[in-house]
Amino acid sequence: MLVITRRSGERICLGDDVTITVLEISGSTVRLGIEAPSEVPVYRHEIWAAVKAENQAAANASITRLPTPTESSN
Amino acid sequence: MQIESTRFGRVEIADDAVINFPDGLIGLPGTRYALIAQTESSVFLWLHSVDDPAVALPVANPWLFFGNYEVEVSDEDAEKLRLEGPANADILCVVRASDRLEEFTVNLRGPLVVNGPERIGRQIINETGDFSVRQPLFSETELNRVRPSAPAAPVAATGV
Repeated sequence: MLVITRRSGERICLGDDVTITVLEISGSTVRLGIEAPSEVPVYRHEIWAAVKAENQAAANASITRLPTPTESSN
Repeated sequence: MQIESTRFGRVEIADDAVINFPDGLIGLPGTRYALIAQTESSVFLWLHSVDDPAVALPVANPWLFFGNYEVEVSDEDAEKLRLEGPANADILCVVRASDRLEEFTVNLRGPLVVNGPERIGRQIINETGDFSVRQPLFSETELNRVRPSAPAAPVAATGV
């Protein structure tokens, strides 16, 4: 892992196409501006990780039967 | 085409029922999926991988359970889906199934958007509202109306 220090207004480049700008630092929060090609998905990590976990849990369910509303199955 | 599903055995998939997810589903392999229904009346469908016979996720139309659900599709996502408006956008949410109905949850935060006519799908992060990735699916009143379905009949491939 690379650890670097940046100040407000400074940037980080990831490869040729992705630029991250530190827009504002306020207390414990940092606002970042991210410029990336449209084919590069950008997610907040915790949401990405949560969706990944849900997808994998859904795909791993050993269930092969799903419930049916009683009205429509009778 | 046919897939040899680890859950359902041999399943026939019409070529025009395949949905391409160019960026895949977050954390899962493969880019081609098809919707299959176990019974005509089921509110749940299986989004089955065409590339990996072991990968299948239960999905549902979220509005059948949450009438006030909202999805915001960003311009970038709409462009990738070649969506020109909401008319062709089908929304499905991934269901985490369980042996117990009260443990069923649905991911309202990361819905699947499918451009039906173009057969392109994409899992998006829904930035509107404050919807959960693990929303309990059945309220107590609904639990009284639902029971496990009969053993899986031969599955039939369906469109969206």
